[in-house]
Amino acid sequence: MYLRRLLLGALAFAPVVAAMPSFAQAALVPADAAKAFITQSGQQLVSVVNSGASTSQKADELRQLVNNIVAVDQVGDYVLGRYLNVASADQHAQFLSLFHQLLSYNITFQIKAYQGLNFVVNGVKPMGNDMVVDTTITSPGKAPADVGWAVDEVDGQPKIVDVIVAGTSLRITTRNDYASVVTDNGGQVSALLKAMQTQITKIAAAQ
Amino acid sequence: MGNVSFGSSVWVEAALLSNTYYMGPPSLGGQVKLGLNSMKMTVKREISRALSLAAPGLLVSALLAGCATPPPKTDTADYQAYQQQNDPLEPTNRVFYTVNDKLDTYAMKPVAQGYVDITTQPIRDHVGNFITNIGEPARWANFMLEGKPTDAGTAFVRFLVNSTIGIGGIFDPAASLGYPETDTDFGMTLAIWGIPAGPYLYLPVFGPSGARDVWNLPVEYFATPMKIAPASGALTDFSYAETGLHLVNTRAAYIGPIDQVKATALDPYATFRSLYRQSRDSELQLINERDTPVPNPWAHE
Repeated sequence: MYLRRLLLGALAFAPVVAAMPSFAQAALVPADAAKAFITQSGQQLVSVVNSGASTSQKADELRQLVNNIVAVDQVGDYVLGRYLNVASADQHAQFLSLFHQLLSYNITFQIKAYQGLNFVVNGVKPMGNDMVVDTTITSPGKAPADVGWAVDEVDGQPKIVDVIVAGTSLRITTRNDYASVVTDNGGQVSALLKAMQTQITKIAAAQ
Repeated sequence: MGNVSFGSSVWVEAALLSNTYYMGPPSLGGQVKLGLNSMKMTVKREISRALSLAAPGLLVSALLAGCATPPPKTDTADYQAYQQQNDPLEPTNRVFYTVNDKLDTYAMKPVAQGYVDITTQPIRDHVGNFITNIGEPARWANFMLEGKPTDAGTAFVRFLVNSTIGIGGIFDPAASLGYPETDTDFGMTLAIWGIPAGPYLYLPVFGPSGARDVWNLPVEYFATPMKIAPASGALTDFSYAETGLHLVNTRAAYIGPIDQVKATALDPYATFRSLYRQSRDSELQLINERDTPVPNPWAHE
């Protein structure tokens, strides 16, 4: 009786199991392509950061670059996580718009401290559904930073979907950060949107 | 200082060294000032003993004071999220986070900033190497307890090579010989023994920890060469100086990342919690990755 139930259960799940590996393989970007993409993106980044342009001009160029090389919408949905099902269509759209702004601000915050940036691509290895390209970023007077860039295919183009520093993933950290805001406010997505808006206002005032 | 993660572990690092709090004032130029008189030492020792006795009491009263209210089990998604977060003491933890944050803003960070202003990155690297080297024997012991012979061998070779060719650990020639630093501690040993991380704890002064990792504190206290060697005044002074330097040097390495988290996170407490957990997971992964099994020469075909 028990055996039959087990077998039936296994049969029922067979198509799911069969579909899984093909799904994983379909998403994987070839190693060479991922490496080439990160090398090229790194060069663009270095040329913006090391240029003689003013800080605000650099920030604008960085924002544009981020939108080109990062799959911001996909990362945003990942960060929203299970609240994607809770949020209304309006809230979702508003979240993505705020997320775009915050991501650019955060990246600019990190990058603007660097001068004489140097970007070296080391290796590439698959991790889950993504290809992770390992790089070392150096700038004078600072300890070198090992940064991994997770690359995934989005609309047929390789895009950055995560940044990994010392074993910590930026998208997981952000997801936990945002989830905490929602849970602390009784599961209301509107509270998260409000917190994001406050944060943008704060950063804009400081700049 | 191999494994630089986003700031969350600064206070943990502090905890590991928390015999007492002695930090050379920034005007000393980051240099180690040996030679405190024994009077001061005794007072400091008494204070640290009193603190260490008071800490568990504080903790227990805090545990009783504030527990998070779990969402009803019928609300499955919320209940699962609560379980996954595994932070039943969140209200209390947040109080200690606020306290440590103030302590950091007004004491640790200014000292670390002063230290950065008067040192260069190479100097800070050498200080980091020196401190890492002092920790190698404890790492060796933990790797042995973990049943990681390759990692233990690496720690042993590193201590031997860096203490001699590396001039007392100031340089790290072992890394270029193919023996990179792999970090571990007693919390990792317990993890490898199969003990789960347990609820998250944010300790006063010490910072992010957990029900499992907190056992690292008493073990680490006794696991430095300074504690194992016969007691002497000079050794105690050295131990204090090393503790202070370790704290400042580590905090200095995290100035950028911590500022970044505080400036960009919506909820820095939750962000540091996430970073702490991820960084512990990745440490565990690295220990296993680097311990490639040695083929058994006596094995039959």
